Amino acid sequence: MLAINLQILFSGLAVGAIYALVSLGFVLIIRATNVVNFAQGDFPMVAAFAMLTLLSSLKLPYLLSFVLSLAVMAVVGVAFNYGVYYPLRNRTYLPVLISTLGAGIFMQNAVLAIFGPQPHPLPKVFRAQGFQVGGVFLDSQYLLILAVTLVAVGFQYFLFEYTLLGKKLQATSQDKDMARLVGIPVAGMITFTFVYSAALGGLAGILVAPILFVSIGMGSTIALKAFSATIIGGFGDVTGAIVGGLLLGVVEAFAAAYVSVPYKDAFAFLLVFVFLLLRPQGIFGEKVSEKA
Amino acid sequence: MPLLELHQVQSHYGAVQALKGVSLRVEEGEIATLLGANGAGKTTTLRTISGLMHPSAGGITFAGREIHRLRAEQVVRLGIAHVPEGRHVFPGLTVTENIMLGASSRGRLRRATLFAEIEEMFEIFPDLKRLSSALGWSLSGGQQQMLAVARGLMAKPRLLLLDEPSLGLAPIIVQQLFEVIKRIRALGMTILLVEQNAHMALSVADRGYVLETGKLMLEGTPAELLDNEEVRAAYLGGGRSPSPNVTA
Amino acid sequence: MSEAATSTMAPPITVRRPRLRPRLIPPLVVLALLPFLPFAITVSDYTLNILMQATTYAMPVLGLAIVLGYTGQINLAQAAFFGLGAYAVALVTVTLGQSFWIGLPIGVALAAGLGFVLGLTTLRLGGHYLAMITISFQQIFDLVLNNWIAVTRGPDGIAGIARPSLFGWVLADARTYLVLCAAVLYAMVAFVWWLPSTRLGRAMRAVRENELAAEVTGVHTLRVKVVAFTISSALAGMGGVLFAAGFAYVSPDNFSFGRSVEFLTMVLLGGVQSPIGAALGTVLLILLPEWLRFLKGIYLAVYGLAVILIMVFMPEGIWGLIQTVWKRLARPAPVEVGRVRPLELDIPVADTSPILHLREVRKHFGGVKAVAGVDIQVSRGTVHALIGPNGSGKTTILNVLNGIYRPTAGGIVLDGEDVTGRSPHERAGRGLGRTFQNIRLFSALSALENVMVGAQRDGNPLPPGNAALRERALSALGFVGLADRAHLVVKNLPYGHQRLVEIARALAGHPKLLLLDEPAAGLNPVEKQSLVELLKRLRSAHGLTIFLIEHDMGLIEQVSDRISVINFGKKIAEGAPAEVLRHPDVIAAYLGTPGHAAA
Repeated sequence: MLAINLQILFSGLAVGAIYALVSLGFVLIIRATNVVNFAQGDFPMVAAFAMLTLLSSLKLPYLLSFVLSLAVMAVVGVAFNYGVYYPLRNRTYLPVLISTLGAGIFMQNAVLAIFGPQPHPLPKVFRAQGFQVGGVFLDSQYLLILAVTLVAVGFQYFLFEYTLLGKKLQATSQDKDMARLVGIPVAGMITFTFVYSAALGGLAGILVAPILFVSIGMGSTIALKAFSATIIGGFGDVTGAIVGGLLLGVVEAFAAAYVSVPYKDAFAFLLVFVFLLLRPQGIFGEKVSEKA
Repeated sequence: MPLLELHQVQSHYGAVQALKGVSLRVEEGEIATLLGANGAGKTTTLRTISGLMHPSAGGITFAGREIHRLRAEQVVRLGIAHVPEGRHVFPGLTVTENIMLGASSRGRLRRATLFAEIEEMFEIFPDLKRLSSALGWSLSGGQQQMLAVARGLMAKPRLLLLDEPSLGLAPIIVQQLFEVIKRIRALGMTILLVEQNAHMALSVADRGYVLETGKLMLEGTPAELLDNEEVRAAYLGGGRSPSPNVTA
Repeated sequence: MSEAATSTMAPPITVRRPRLRPRLIPPLVVLALLPFLPFAITVSDYTLNILMQATTYAMPVLGLAIVLGYTGQINLAQAAFFGLGAYAVALVTVTLGQSFWIGLPIGVALAAGLGFVLGLTTLRLGGHYLAMITISFQQIFDLVLNNWIAVTRGPDGIAGIARPSLFGWVLADARTYLVLCAAVLYAMVAFVWWLPSTRLGRAMRAVRENELAAEVTGVHTLRVKVVAFTISSALAGMGGVLFAAGFAYVSPDNFSFGRSVEFLTMVLLGGVQSPIGAALGTVLLILLPEWLRFLKGIYLAVYGLAVILIMVFMPEGIWGLIQTVWKRLARPAPVEVGRVRPLELDIPVADTSPILHLREVRKHFGGVKAVAGVDIQVSRGTVHALIGPNGSGKTTILNVLNGIYRPTAGGIVLDGEDVTGRSPHERAGRGLGRTFQNIRLFSALSALENVMVGAQRDGNPLPPGNAALRERALSALGFVGLADRAHLVVKNLPYGHQRLVEIARALAGHPKLLLLDEPAAGLNPVEKQSLVELLKRLRSAHGLTIFLIEHDMGLIEQVSDRISVINFGKKIAEGAPAEVLRHPDVIAAYLGTPGHAAA
């Protein structure tokens, strides 16, 4: 019994790690620019297709493909910054929200036009399938996901807590005008945030692609789960994004095992519904304040 | 040549004209103060100087160079540090981190230099040393004000713009604050001080300007302005009702 | 008696109204006959299908015009409501074997009911949170459709939905069915066209423009938003009902999140604030894929880019752009409206008790004591001013008074009633009017519409109907001297006039107590003098009480009966203007003192 639950926990954490990565990128953009990016899920999708091209079509070595795919995501991030955020940076939330929806449609359909609608498989990184520990089978790709996510979260923590750049990014999020007044190049900070966020999303896509198929729609579900994770963890909170993602993955895994497989996705949305009504600030968020 | 000069500066917030042709100057090494009631345009003047806003007419020169078309990041690099109204410390960063970021306009600094300068700040603001790891939001109003000034000084500016530093602070803290201002001036800093509290400001300034609804009404030395009925009228009315002597 | 701006001897006020479109009848006749065209000329089945798709899709898009365009609430679940109507009909006719005409009301009611529930969530949420909750709702609906196979047959969908019969005739012919759809669509368009000029429509647009100002002016903002969601969902449901019977087959992928986004894009492209825009956008986005077929896969990518470009360059949509250009070309023709009645402002004075009592009010924000125990009583029919240096807590006091903040301790008693627990719109309904320091008008509405929203507040002693509201609004505008500008959109008015419109809006509600927050802010000396004259006229209205925050002491001295002075969240002086303004504590609060500087 314990073994089964541990197995479920393990796969839940792995999926949750993917949600956490995408969530993190999502939250960083919100903190820096107040933009809720409804196209965040398409970053993993684009990166997965880039990997597909480099690895399967061009037959480049894995590590090189990985690095180049992240480079592609950096370019996507820059394009997003100048094409979607910058022209609308002074407008209210609605035009920006809708533009991000448009950007998502564009990315999905551009990829569709190039690759066609059928899903493609992507080979796993390790030839070994995984290994058995007691009654639990640890899949190699899942282990990779957890390991890389750990590194990414560690990097995130290091960046923000121990580097000057991280402090400048935080200052930009906390008070844009004041950051300008002390001489922080705010526009550059924002561009960096988009690039970093796209790379995080891309990382998630590259990691999860061997498990799912590489398809146009793979991003949409991940995106919605990532948003849900953000809300559950605390809208705009970095720790909340990570914790929310992991929690969601685990809840889903147990729901699928014990309640119902097809409706497991509904749990995410039900959870969000409940949180939004009872505790909109999520687990870690600050109270949604009163203003005049 | 004055360090800072404003010439007939006009400024708008959308359709509302906030500054209606303001001319003033600040000489190097002095404290000039800009007084006036709420809504007179004092903060607008500072924001226009530091580049957060741009004038719709008129010009601003700093050390002989025209700066009124520059962006805020460029203005601070030239040597003007703006400590804004309401302090605006970075709430989620520590005292040390706030101070450190004050030097962002000076390019890459060696770690040793940076930390030495932070220590200097702690000399001038001993309370902050005690609070060096505290987060910005947890500080009291007075401590936040000290932090904001320290952060401003880290830019090693030639001109410091202080916007209503005494706002919301208890009288004792205000006194401490003004002691610090005097000390900074003694170190050679030029300061343009905006204040609602005319008495405190005039007790440290070398020259004063009085702004009223976007126009400069009075200029003079503290001696001329202190206990001047016209200054009181600018704040509290009394004997001067808005008379219809303007043509429609 | 009061010096009204207009007397019975004054000449009639001319009010400018944009020129009425003459010769509307011929185009309307053409539109009415258009659905019958397929009987006259041969039209392919394919074209008929396109037309049926266009008419049924236009219905949820019209719903979006109401909830998003008029009321400003984002709704990304419109396809779910469309689907509710469609599946209701499918289940009722195919699974249960009942008539279409039973399925229709069930479908619409179901959609409206769930729309109502979704609307209730706006009590707590707006903006991004609302977007998320509507998406969650849409996704749950999608999952249920795909997985509750016993009922919905899952991804296979439900086929064989029969056309309805009307008076014994089965509408099997697509052309006849199309006429039915068109008729329903026209009715909806007419409704959506008429809505903005109604009480509800104005309230919706006020909520969109500035929800806080709407709430404070007396609009029950939650109720308006819920109604908007309910109507919008009902329209979508109706569309789904007709869609199902039209195409005879429903399946989950027709009612997915992607379809919701498509509906949203249609309404944005066409023009979100108009039924014509909604229809235009629907038609364009259905026909475009046909015309651009040669682009094949690229088309959809271009579609995504187009959404971004529309948001950046054309946020009012195509129809909005056309309207802006047209308005610039058409010159408004002056229309004589006749005499504007003098504004009725008198309040019956029952007794001499204070009309307002701020009872030991405290307001703390975390550790900050913005208001630290303030007790003020305001006498009926007086002008009572509140002054104090920057940051002293004046605006916080006003916001507590209004109901925007709940006090940490203490209470507000308005005309003998404890209103501490009442929301802002309820207080407005009890005769509390307010203007804001940073003017909060409904920018896209005309001066007249702005002031009519003020007149709409609950409890305003007026005969029912739009005409009475209009008359009251014109009187209020006349009082401030702007009756001849009634039809101008307020965002185009100069600042001074905007300030006056805001005051007129508060006066139109026939307030007992009028709160003015720095009414002179941003005014030039001439405008200030007019304001002083206006305040003097208000003062002479019998029984009206004014509570005023101001910095211009000259102005205060001219109009106030009593002044309370606040510093550091506490009252430090109170009394007649002459004494208070010379009081040493007050002077010290503003100017500081030599004593403080030396010690």
